[in-house]
Amino acid sequence: MRLLNVTAFFFAIASALLLYGLNYDTRRLEAEVHAKERIAERAREDIAVLKAERGTLTRPDRIDTFARQLGLSPPRVDQFVDGREVSALNERQEGSNGR
Amino acid sequence: MAADVYGGSGQTPADIRKRRTRSGAEIGVYAFLFFAFAEVAIHLLTLALDHQGGVTLAVSEPVATSFSRPDIVDRNGRLLATDLEAPSIYADPGIVVDRDELVEKLATVLPDIDQKDLLRTLSDRSRRFVWVRRGVSPKIAQKVHDLGLPGLSFRYELKRAYPAGKLAGHVLGSVNVDNRGLTGIEKYIDDSVGVDPIHAAVLSTRPPVRLSLDIGVQHALEDELGDAEKRYHTKGAAGIVLNIKTGEVLASSSLPRVDPTWPTQALDNKHLDRMMSGTYELGSVFKTLTIAMAFDEGIAKPDTMVDVRQPLEVGRFTVKDYHPSNRPLSVTEVFTHSSNVGAGMLALQAGPDKLESFLRKFGMLTQLKTEEGTVAPPQLPPKWGKAATITVAFGHGIAVAPLQFAAAAATILNDGKPVHPTFLRRYDAEATDEKPLITKMTSREMARLMRLNVSGPDGTGKKADVPGYRVGGKTGTADVAKRGGYSSKSVISSFLGAFPMDDPQYLTFIVLFEPKGTKETHWQHTAGYTAAPVTGRLIARIAAQLGVKPMDVVASQ
Repeated sequence: MRLLNVTAFFFAIASALLLYGLNYDTRRLEAEVHAKERIAERAREDIAVLKAERGTLTRPDRIDTFARQLGLSPPRVDQFVDGREVSALNERQEGSNGR
Repeated sequence: MAADVYGGSGQTPADIRKRRTRSGAEIGVYAFLFFAFAEVAIHLLTLALDHQGGVTLAVSEPVATSFSRPDIVDRNGRLLATDLEAPSIYADPGIVVDRDELVEKLATVLPDIDQKDLLRTLSDRSRRFVWVRRGVSPKIAQKVHDLGLPGLSFRYELKRAYPAGKLAGHVLGSVNVDNRGLTGIEKYIDDSVGVDPIHAAVLSTRPPVRLSLDIGVQHALEDELGDAEKRYHTKGAAGIVLNIKTGEVLASSSLPRVDPTWPTQALDNKHLDRMMSGTYELGSVFKTLTIAMAFDEGIAKPDTMVDVRQPLEVGRFTVKDYHPSNRPLSVTEVFTHSSNVGAGMLALQAGPDKLESFLRKFGMLTQLKTEEGTVAPPQLPPKWGKAATITVAFGHGIAVAPLQFAAAAATILNDGKPVHPTFLRRYDAEATDEKPLITKMTSREMARLMRLNVSGPDGTGKKADVPGYRVGGKTGTADVAKRGGYSSKSVISSFLGAFPMDDPQYLTFIVLFEPKGTKETHWQHTAGYTAAPVTGRLIARIAAQLGVKPMDVVASQ
């Protein structure tokens, strides 16, 4: 009987210690998670800002002005060529290079 | 005997010793347990105290409830609206030392602030929280911070940002200061997609809302409308590009544009979305529906002759043609010459009932609803008599929102399968299997007439042609109803276009409000000289973006 009491007593002590250990570990990990979450949140905010900035920088009216300054314009019909014609052209060029 | 000395209970001295040592061990255990529990209690207390700060903060915060919203992107994922963190300035009247100084100094950074109102709210010292300005730029917040005024503080809130500026402003709509949708797609998000209430600036984790718009096409449309406004000195312009097969709106614009960041701007009549919220008598573009009805009801064939030499008399009115013909015209010519008399006669032949039920079938008589909001209800003739039948045949006496007309015209070109305009990207459009409203034959015949009207030598829509892209269309020049009748000086000139006409994929509808004739248009303000060339320039810009393969120029004619 005594042996049982003593065992139970030590078991209680041991589990209490274990529990405390776990408790502190959990809190430490929790703090770590919070810190990571804060970093992730900040990264998400940065991404949102960068996305918005990219949206502003690539908005079509801005690109349009720059493109026209560079002398570019919407494609004309005569600038489109059938894919087969292009490959035929390549073949001809390759043939002439080989000679 | 000896046993009696110890009370006769039969206990020996050894027993007593044992009990004493056991009670000592028990006390030890109890003491340990007591301290252990005390330790736990202390921990609980500290935990409770630690969290108390958070609790008081939450109690003081419900005033600042705001909403996080999903992003809005175009059909290719390009950003149109997003939430950003922005500082907001608030004051604690209890801590403010000098109200007048605070307001005066604040006005140097925020000149448009209501000084009297702020002074009044700050004088109530029982309040601990007063918004001064929400959602300012970080630069302004820094300037206010640098003033060093006691009682002013900052908190971060979400603020809706529209990176593309005014682009598609009408479609996007706007939000209020708490980030709730008020109009347009923003309101649709609140009603149907969902927003999340937040107490701090936490970005939404919902997937972005993908619109059917293509910002490249949207820009081209807005740019061409802006150009038309300058060229023809219009009092406004509107346009739409619609995918005929899916009903997706690729671009929709109304000039003057609105900035979604300043929602109050959109409230006046001038900034109305004329594509959806205004109804207009659209004129001859309506003949597309009248003639489609004549074909589908078997009243006429393209080569059926109609005698248009005499004007139509309806009560007090006389319906004449813009360019009266001195010979009977075929139905094809009624379309390409845009003969009011011819269209009126075809409608009369069908009768009011057939015309009304045809228009009802095409959804022209009932109110249309889209994600951007409810389309203005059509204004219909009070009685479908002879007069109404004739005038409706060429687009007078009936006023509809341009978007509603565009949807009906798209249905005609979509082999009669109903087109439901949508502002959201659709993935399952091809799968819908609705009953066609007209025969495929009628649809093809209308496409042929529309192409002929642009490519033919005497078509009214010649200036809309873009070599290689097989453009077809119909002009519409409607006199604007003024007090005491119609004025032919101010017109609404419109052009219904579609391409490529061998299998119509895209529909454009351009409406110019009160354009003026210029030297370039030979002083004409009719649609053939104004709305048609705008459509041509627009299609030349967007056809390649939309992936329409150009055909050999000679073959396309």
